[in-house]
Amino acid sequence: MKWKVNQIDTYYKAKEYVDTAVIPLIPLQWGKDEKDTISMGEFTEYITDRIENQFTGRVFLMPPFTYLKSEPALEKIQRLKEWDRHLFKQGFKYIFYITSDVEWKSLDKQLPDELIWVPAISSETMDSNQLKKTVEQQTSQIMPLFTGKWQTEPNPRDE
Amino acid sequence: MSEKKHRVSRRQFLTYTLTGVGGFMAAGMLSPMVRMALDPALEATGDSEFVAVGLGEDELTEEPQIVNFELEIEDAWYTSEQPRSAWIYKDGDEIIALSPICTHLGCTVNWDANEDYPEQFFCPCHFGRFERDGTNVAGTPPTRPLDVYDVEVRDGMIYLGQINQRS
Repeated sequence: MKWKVNQIDTYYKAKEYVDTAVIPLIPLQWGKDEKDTISMGEFTEYITDRIENQFTGRVFLMPPFTYLKSEPALEKIQRLKEWDRHLFKQGFKYIFYITSDVEWKSLDKQLPDELIWVPAISSETMDSNQLKKTVEQQTSQIMPLFTGKWQTEPNPRDE
Repeated sequence: MSEKKHRVSRRQFLTYTLTGVGGFMAAGMLSPMVRMALDPALEATGDSEFVAVGLGEDELTEEPQIVNFELEIEDAWYTSEQPRSAWIYKDGDEIIALSPICTHLGCTVNWDANEDYPEQFFCPCHFGRFERDGTNVAGTPPTRPLDVYDVEVRDGMIYLGQINQRS
């Protein structure tokens, strides 16, 4: 399900089935490497969209968590943890953070739930068919992470 | 000589002119109304259109295979190509095309993907299951069979049309 008004009624009706949240982590930076930063965000959005499409009935795709590239890691983590705690309390037992920003990889351990890092592939040089194929391939590699996670107990959160 | 015969009086001239101008004005006012009334009837109907999926009839087997194709969707003023998929297989002489959308909550189902349930469509979200013909397996979350596409074969190629709900 998506962050759209017309989907929320479906959510209310099927609440007990929707226990997974996906939060795209998308950086903002101006002044240098705009292109790379943009392709990170763009690719993350394609991937999360596709995941939502495959797992519509169990996954809720949240609006992106955006941050300045220059924001200190600690503050970013703090903010993301607040999102996480809020959603967890509301019944999202499994939360995935998906990003193409490599910086999160080193912060992985400090996050309360699962981070998926997908290397950004610039859509610039690809035609739309190639792009679709790439996104589909990448997503099909990520999907087992979801189904696998669903077999396990949710991570507990400390208050 | 003939000019005399065709002489137009002032009264006649005015009558002609007024009828002419009035006629144009009436036509100008009425034609948009008529158009508006007729327009819906003239518009091409979109929902019965068939789309080629790029697969030949001879490529089909008894084993369901997935095909992806694009459908033009009009969302208010915005037309976009939406991806669609279908599981297609042959049942005797009949061609069956099932929608891969789980009738429970809309996840995508896969054929023969779970070891515990071979020869079934399996939904990874809440373990909904469907038989080969799309019938939902009792005791799993879905409450109706998978939707089916209308299928047409033209020159040996498969075309899919409208999607139909079954109960």
